[in-house]
Amino acid sequence: MATTPDEAGGREDELSWGDVLDQSDRLEVRPRPRGRLVLQLPSLEALVWALFSAGGFVTAILVPVHVAVLGIAFAAGWLPRSALAYERIVHLVHNPLTKLYLLALVALPLFHWAHRFRFAIHHQFGIGWKRLAATACYGTAVIGTALAVVVLLRI
Amino acid sequence: MADPTMTLKVARYRPEHRPKPYFDEYEVPYREDMVVLDALNYIKDELDGSLAYRWSCRMGVCGSCGMMVNYKPRLTCSTFLREFYPKHVVVEPLENFPIIRDLVIDMSDFMEKLRTVKPWIIRTDEHSVDEGEYLQPPEQVDRYKQFSMCINCMLCYAACPVYAKDQEFIGPAALALAYRYNLDTRDQGQDERQQIVAVDWGIWDCTFVGECSVVCPKDVDPAAAIQRSKVAATTKSMMSMLLPFGVEREED
Amino acid sequence: MKRTEAPPRYPVYVPKVSRIWWLRTGPFRRFAAREITSMFAAIFSVGMLLFLFALSRGRAAYDGFLHWLKLPWVIALSAVILGAVLYHTATWFRLTTRIIVIRLGGRTVPTVVIAAGLVAALLGASALVAYFHIWF
Repeated sequence: MATTPDEAGGREDELSWGDVLDQSDRLEVRPRPRGRLVLQLPSLEALVWALFSAGGFVTAILVPVHVAVLGIAFAAGWLPRSALAYERIVHLVHNPLTKLYLLALVALPLFHWAHRFRFAIHHQFGIGWKRLAATACYGTAVIGTALAVVVLLRI
Repeated sequence: MADPTMTLKVARYRPEHRPKPYFDEYEVPYREDMVVLDALNYIKDELDGSLAYRWSCRMGVCGSCGMMVNYKPRLTCSTFLREFYPKHVVVEPLENFPIIRDLVIDMSDFMEKLRTVKPWIIRTDEHSVDEGEYLQPPEQVDRYKQFSMCINCMLCYAACPVYAKDQEFIGPAALALAYRYNLDTRDQGQDERQQIVAVDWGIWDCTFVGECSVVCPKDVDPAAAIQRSKVAATTKSMMSMLLPFGVEREED
Repeated sequence: MKRTEAPPRYPVYVPKVSRIWWLRTGPFRRFAAREITSMFAAIFSVGMLLFLFALSRGRAAYDGFLHWLKLPWVIALSAVILGAVLYHTATWFRLTTRIIVIRLGGRTVPTVVIAAGLVAALLGASALVAYFHIWF
């Protein structure tokens, strides 16, 4: 399988299989910086995937009951009168733990959608501008999260 | 009574005759124990010697005979005609690869992807020969055994819509192979391989369609390998965020 | 990584990828459906945000929002969102069982057990949320 660079008419710096195997202990895809302490920054992709994953679990486990209670049960009149009374709900939401929960409930599904939609734009709709699409998608999620923070602080 | 026959529509590509691929139809004798490869061999022996295709072991272990059979990536040596009889069978070259001739595709991109993930044991501290082998009990072999069964048949690349769109994508088999070595307790190259696969054209481009694992003839489950690689990469990232200064010892 | 091999010295035919590849086969259509459910998750988030916004503006706005929830077309939308989100749950659980590997003393936990755990989490969390939402 190995073709030496001159045989194949390729570039001089191309490596044959033999070269790769011989030099495998020295070859790096990205060179490691020299020195004793190395600052390791977390990968951005890893971070958005973590958010996407968390969003997937929130959507799968928590969202159904919220839609069922607010969108179906209450709307159809199956709930007791006091269930969604203004005072009771405000009192519930005043609790900081509730606010944290609600922040996660609003923000994480948005990041889940953003991640899937960003790939759908490129893979399914065939639109090329990947960085723009990613910024637009995650940017929307960030805006939604910020709005949630503002609204929750006002309650 | 005439012996039963079956029709095969086989894709041809002969650029010296016609610039684009086209189909030829052949009628082959049908027996219950015949596979698509048998039909192709019959065509080549008796009907049309100009047909070009790859095959070798004819028993599903070499990975040479991957083709699209009725629009699905299959090993022709393991696909029985009786699955389709009496309807006709469409045989085309493996999808998502450039076609060299008839059913033969250019696999050089795949071969390159395989070698970029450094599919060998990487050690930061080599044992000397006197210290003996790197021992590995059966429980540790079980951790990666499944992912070592790949026969490089490329059916997963044919099934992967991400690879269809992005030829840069490292792809299921190569990423599963990288994961196999990361799981191997004798290997110490996880960090090195992470730099190679945890990139935009590596594991992060996969959207877990899952078709690669569906078509894999050896149940390697590359989709699972890639998602677990994502978990591993994310965990590593989160850990490095909690401990931002990694201490590296430079050995000269 | 880009190809570093020299191009072959014979003509190769590179077929074009169909723009609607995701409609061509059953598995691809189911994949597309699964991805689309994430849009409904986002719609839920927006709806929840509107609910909280109404809550923050006082009793009148809040009651107005509740009244809006009872409109027939909104109920229909809620039903659609619920269906989509439950499809998401089913597919998400199936995907999770393929990724999570739990080892207990050399043996692997079977996927059925992991699936049961996820369903238990769904039911348990739903019960808890419903309790706080309705009766607490």
